[in-house]
Amino acid sequence: MKTRKTVTTVAFNVAAVLIGLIICALLLFFMKVDPGAVISKTMSKIIGDKYNMGEVLVKATPLILTSLAFAFTYQANLFNIGAQGQFYMGCIAAVSISLALGGKIPTLALILIVLVASFAAGAATGSFIGFAKSRFGANEFLVSMMSTYVVSAFMDYLLRTSLQETKAEYLQTDGIAKAAYLPKLIKGTRVHWGFIIAVAAAVLIWILLNKTGLGFRIRAVGMNHHAAELGGIRTGKVYVIAFAIAGGLAGLAGLTEINGVQHMLLRDFNASIGSYGIGIAILANGNPIGCIFASILFGFLNVVGTTMGRLPNTSIPASIIDLLEGIVMTCVIASYAARHAYEVHLEKKRTRKESV
Amino acid sequence: MSVTAAGAGVPAVELRNITKYFAKVVANKDVSITVHPGEVVALLGENGAGKSTIMKILYGLYQKSSGEILIRGEKKEIKSPADAVANGIAMIQQHFSLVPTHTATENIILGNVKGHIDIKAYEQKIGAIAKKYGFDVPVDVPVGRLAVGQQQKIEILKALYLNTSILIMDEPTAVLTPQESDNLMQFIKDFVKQGNSIVFITHKMKEVMEVADRIVVMRTGVVAGTVNRTETDEKQLARMMIGEDIIPPERGDDRAYLENPVGLRIEDVCLSSKAGVLLDHVDLSVHNGEVFGIAGVSGNGQDDLCDVLCGLKKPDSGRVFFGDEDVTNLSIRKHNEAGLGYTPLDRYRDGMVMDMTLWENMLLKECFSEKWLKNGFIRKKALKDYTSEVIQKHRVKATGPDDVARSLSGGNQQKVVLAREVGIGSKLLVFNQPTRGLDMGAVDRIHHVIMEEKENGKAVLLISTELSEIFEICDRFAIMYKGRVMGVFKNGEITTEQIGLLMAGVKEAAE
Repeated sequence: MKTRKTVTTVAFNVAAVLIGLIICALLLFFMKVDPGAVISKTMSKIIGDKYNMGEVLVKATPLILTSLAFAFTYQANLFNIGAQGQFYMGCIAAVSISLALGGKIPTLALILIVLVASFAAGAATGSFIGFAKSRFGANEFLVSMMSTYVVSAFMDYLLRTSLQETKAEYLQTDGIAKAAYLPKLIKGTRVHWGFIIAVAAAVLIWILLNKTGLGFRIRAVGMNHHAAELGGIRTGKVYVIAFAIAGGLAGLAGLTEINGVQHMLLRDFNASIGSYGIGIAILANGNPIGCIFASILFGFLNVVGTTMGRLPNTSIPASIIDLLEGIVMTCVIASYAARHAYEVHLEKKRTRKESV
Repeated sequence: MSVTAAGAGVPAVELRNITKYFAKVVANKDVSITVHPGEVVALLGENGAGKSTIMKILYGLYQKSSGEILIRGEKKEIKSPADAVANGIAMIQQHFSLVPTHTATENIILGNVKGHIDIKAYEQKIGAIAKKYGFDVPVDVPVGRLAVGQQQKIEILKALYLNTSILIMDEPTAVLTPQESDNLMQFIKDFVKQGNSIVFITHKMKEVMEVADRIVVMRTGVVAGTVNRTETDEKQLARMMIGEDIIPPERGDDRAYLENPVGLRIEDVCLSSKAGVLLDHVDLSVHNGEVFGIAGVSGNGQDDLCDVLCGLKKPDSGRVFFGDEDVTNLSIRKHNEAGLGYTPLDRYRDGMVMDMTLWENMLLKECFSEKWLKNGFIRKKALKDYTSEVIQKHRVKATGPDDVARSLSGGNQQKVVLAREVGIGSKLLVFNQPTRGLDMGAVDRIHHVIMEEKENGKAVLLISTELSEIFEICDRFAIMYKGRVMGVFKNGEITTEQIGLLMAGVKEAAE
């Protein structure tokens, strides 16, 4: 039964990604470009190129963390739509500390401090959402969604005031000191230790969910909160813990993006990784390990789009990258609904058989 | 319609051999009921006897699986309440269907008006109907501000406005004060005098004897008997309601358990909600090594008592002791840790996590305990071994501890829950209808386990609506009615008839 479910999930997901790619190819066709030629050219440019291959992992890194932020609360049957805001809180923490301490203390110590601080900043935002739900019965979907707007307004305020660059020209911070950079992982690419941190986080979350008492309680609340309550589990407390951990995971992306890639914070920074995280988590069916692979897939799509948009002697616009990701994401989310309908259909068939 | 003497002419409604299945459950089997013009028919029976179901079929809310419906002699298919209304049938549900922010007039015309509404004209029209039946209700005040009794009158007005001649009322007095009930009874008498018919669903015998012309008694989905009011009495009705064939078995006079210390003491516990009193000064004690039953029609406070015992609800007053430990204000977890095993009524909702495996379900109530956790990590191997043991010991039909709970049959699921609770409940076990809906084999197994735990010296509280079950395994039992304990008896001390009367709230009968 369990294996059948996994097979269905994988089949639906593969189909969704393929349909998305076919639609994209059709679009290329209508742009009067030969899809076959463009795709083969793009692939050879990526696969033959170490830097571009590395970019896949660079793009995947924050997506792993934001998709985990959705997948984790999803296990408690909660919807965390606010990963973007939790990520921004992590960014604020990471950039503030890196600016203040960068170059003044050893890199390792600084990274560890930023790791803890960015997790804590995201966790604080997340636990507020969990608290609002458990204490006041607020709808976590709405609260988490709106929290993103509050946090981005707060970030804008900081970028205009205390965190603004010394020149005070743009809404951005100064660059952080070189000593605050996350060390490179692979020479000749931009891949940094953040990728390892993200993968480790996914593995730890999988262990937490499947091997520990806390993870068991979170899943029990997610699957049947009535029975969990009678089992002595305080569901309200589980809501707060689940959201705190999820927020912390999104916050960690602040470390990987500020200290690993951008080395500064600017307005509307990585504005869509929160929403992509949701789709990726759905693609992974909420499985933390699945999130790693689904994120790499989307990292790959991102690089494909970038490369395509830069191909010489073609009329492909740079916005192909958004089209590509957007269409595949739409197909994945639609497949989630289709899969659900299919499973309900199977279940109905099964019960009908039993009742005869 | 001309006034016809009850029982004569073409029946207003004739239900012939109606059977209704819900998935695997038979809700009604071969039910035939006839209602004549000018007649009040009472449908009497326990909760779950199928009274409401059969009437919801007549009102078009449910579809019959087989059988025929005749309205005034003509065969009709009633596919929706709209069909029912077109045939002059209306039903007043137990829970009213009124928009609280709308006035009586707005509620009554809802769904029957189009375009511009001349509200004053409607108010006058409805006011006139109300006056005709002596209903004293304001037609221009939001109904949410009115008393429940007045809201019910508006529901009735709604039916009258639609020219109803067959009115079905589901437990209409459940929410009324005695005065309001009297008014309702008067209306019922007036209404049928004009050649209309009423079907009155209830489990209260007093009302039945007051207004019904004919009484249809239902039990477990079938008609147990139909009698004229003038030819019966409450004793006979009680017997029909609970089944005549149960005789308390002879028991040895073993009262040794009374010497044991008290394992559960409930002292003067009261509980109420917005809807009213749920538990009314409940006082009970259960000795170790005793199986104490709670009999009664379901919905008379048994579930609320369980909620209090497991810590889900805190009583308004009174105390609960497990042995000598006062657990009244402790959390659910502390209740479990104090040695309580509890099987809730609704296994799907409260007892198990259906999408988890069996070994995970065994962990559910001990997911904080050092027994199964080591540094926060689950001791999976030990837990699985334990689950395998349970599967074997209780003959659960499952392939192993990795089976998903949902894939088991109801009886086997219940065995797993029972095994878990028996393992946790070192001092006290509370079972809320543990055998409801199960096959004989599972029932037998569960009774066997309960008796075993009694031998082990645990205090056992068994809530059951089946008297045969109470007679079979309880040492003593209490009867609950409307959150009150109507009396505590030793098994075999009183007759089925007396029990039936107590279950229906007639106190004098047992004396």
